[in-house]
Amino acid sequence: MSLNAPAIGQPSRWILPAALVLVLLSFVAAVFLGIVDLPARDVLSALTGTGSPEARSIILDIRLPRIVTGILAGMQFALAGLFLQTITRNPLADPSLMGVSQGATLTVTVFLLFTVYLANPDSYSVNELPIAWLPPAGMIGGMLAGGIIYLLAFRLDLSPLRITLCGIAIGAVLHAVAIGLIAGWGSARIEIILEWLSGSLYARTWDHALFLLPFTIAGLAMLPLIYRPLILLRFDPAVARSFGLSYKRQFSLVLLVSCALAASAVGAVGPVVFVGLIVPHLARFLAGRHFPLVLPLTVVLGAVIVTLGDLIGRLAGGPEEVPIGVVTALMGVPVLLALLRKVP
Amino acid sequence: MPLTASHLSVLYGRRKALTDFSLSMEKGEIRALIGPNGSGKSTALQALAGLLTPSDGRAEIEGVAVASMSRRAIAKKLAFLPQQPTAPDEMTIAQLVRQGRFPHVGLFRSYDRKDEAAIEWALESTGLTRFADRTLQELSGGERQRAWISAALAQEADILLLDEPTSFLDIGYQVEVLDLVHRLSRERGVTILMAIHDINQAIAVSDRICLLEKGELRFDGAPRALAESGLIERTFRVKGRFVEVAPDKPPHFDVELTKLHRPGS
Repeated sequence: MSLNAPAIGQPSRWILPAALVLVLLSFVAAVFLGIVDLPARDVLSALTGTGSPEARSIILDIRLPRIVTGILAGMQFALAGLFLQTITRNPLADPSLMGVSQGATLTVTVFLLFTVYLANPDSYSVNELPIAWLPPAGMIGGMLAGGIIYLLAFRLDLSPLRITLCGIAIGAVLHAVAIGLIAGWGSARIEIILEWLSGSLYARTWDHALFLLPFTIAGLAMLPLIYRPLILLRFDPAVARSFGLSYKRQFSLVLLVSCALAASAVGAVGPVVFVGLIVPHLARFLAGRHFPLVLPLTVVLGAVIVTLGDLIGRLAGGPEEVPIGVVTALMGVPVLLALLRKVP
Repeated sequence: MPLTASHLSVLYGRRKALTDFSLSMEKGEIRALIGPNGSGKSTALQALAGLLTPSDGRAEIEGVAVASMSRRAIAKKLAFLPQQPTAPDEMTIAQLVRQGRFPHVGLFRSYDRKDEAAIEWALESTGLTRFADRTLQELSGGERQRAWISAALAQEADILLLDEPTSFLDIGYQVEVLDLVHRLSRERGVTILMAIHDINQAIAVSDRICLLEKGELRFDGAPRALAESGLIERTFRVKGRFVEVAPDKPPHFDVELTKLHRPGS
């Protein structure tokens, strides 16, 4: 599909290739660097299937799956953020602002509460936790929260400000319930919830990557279909409809896609805050007036930010690594402030 | 008939914003919609554009009910420019005007020669070709308004609805917009309905004038007949008189600024 960029100027020629090179570099860095100091030669031989079992296990079973999971989740968070910012015409929209993350948090909490508590009511023993079920559980919660917001949005005529306020209100309620449950539940198991809540790529396996992959592919496959509606959805509904857009249908479609992307990503890695908020701004800043670049840049930068954020967290924290959610939050604040200075 | 409305009524909650509004427009005609603030001008335009669901009556484009048409089908026939539309600041004029081609290209089809020609013509007609790569943020109010008109023109629709296209423009741009409206109607046969506040501009440029008051149509006819009806003074609660300016032109309404003159006289 042609993107129909009118007379693409100089900077846009190298921005996208440069971003792609950055993905590659961050990927390579994330594979080669880590807490366990593997020589580059061992990493290479592990990748080609030879090398020591220890190195193979570190690279193939620990580093690669978490990097791939991170890349997929990063792209999904970034796209979901861009979509939500577009349809709500609110530069601060983000999956964690719109209630999706909180919905996922609540279902994960409830899920852990029931499965673990019912299996073993002794609150001080740390037992086998059904971690594999967390992504689907979180995703269901995120989608439910998105569904509630969607229904309310329709009753409120899709007014962007009201949708945002609805999302914040629903998010706050769900979050409060989840925190209440955690507080009441109070036990050694809080740790797993806390780790999940901070947004972490720790101990992510190929299962997580495989869980995310269909959503990432479906989301990326939707891009050509919603590229033009996305531009039109940035106008007032009256203007967009006058230009021939079926506003409600396209709005619903984009909201649904962003909820699915965000909810599945939150399910897999927890609410990694700020990625959905910052990456679209960064992409818009780099793209400037070349709007066709915003979409690909958002995808690519989403992957880069999460990969690098996780790498920093791994290297900075030592064996007790800093969760990616904490790193993105810390990195995100200065970026947000810098972007805010630009806004008159 | 390109555009007709029969017995259109619109409710905002329980308030009647438009009551039993009927009109029928000839091809290439310019019709002005005048009336005090809140008289239902914008409501009438939005109902005709299919943006509001009327509680009663129907609007038709070439005999087809607007309510039964898809947004794209409407947009191919009718372009509507709302009052004070907003767009993202970083959008360029060229990008804005390109959106006018959406009803023609849809979701997938790439822009062909005909689309590019329409965009070029739209930019040229509004004198914006030179500024095409500027962002809307960098434009003056007048240029921004022309950019929006340009986007509506790119739709190449035979019907153009404009909601106060000259508001907030200086007199130079006002004349330019009205001149463009006139040319579109006479040279391209575009049917134009516009809400406008300046009575003399309405009289000067339109073939017929509709006067709305409290959501009801009070007058529908030629400018001269409106001048002779005495409705302007009554509806707008002002004093004034119609002055002949040229033998072949409709008269000019000269409003008396009573409240300014009274203390001195």
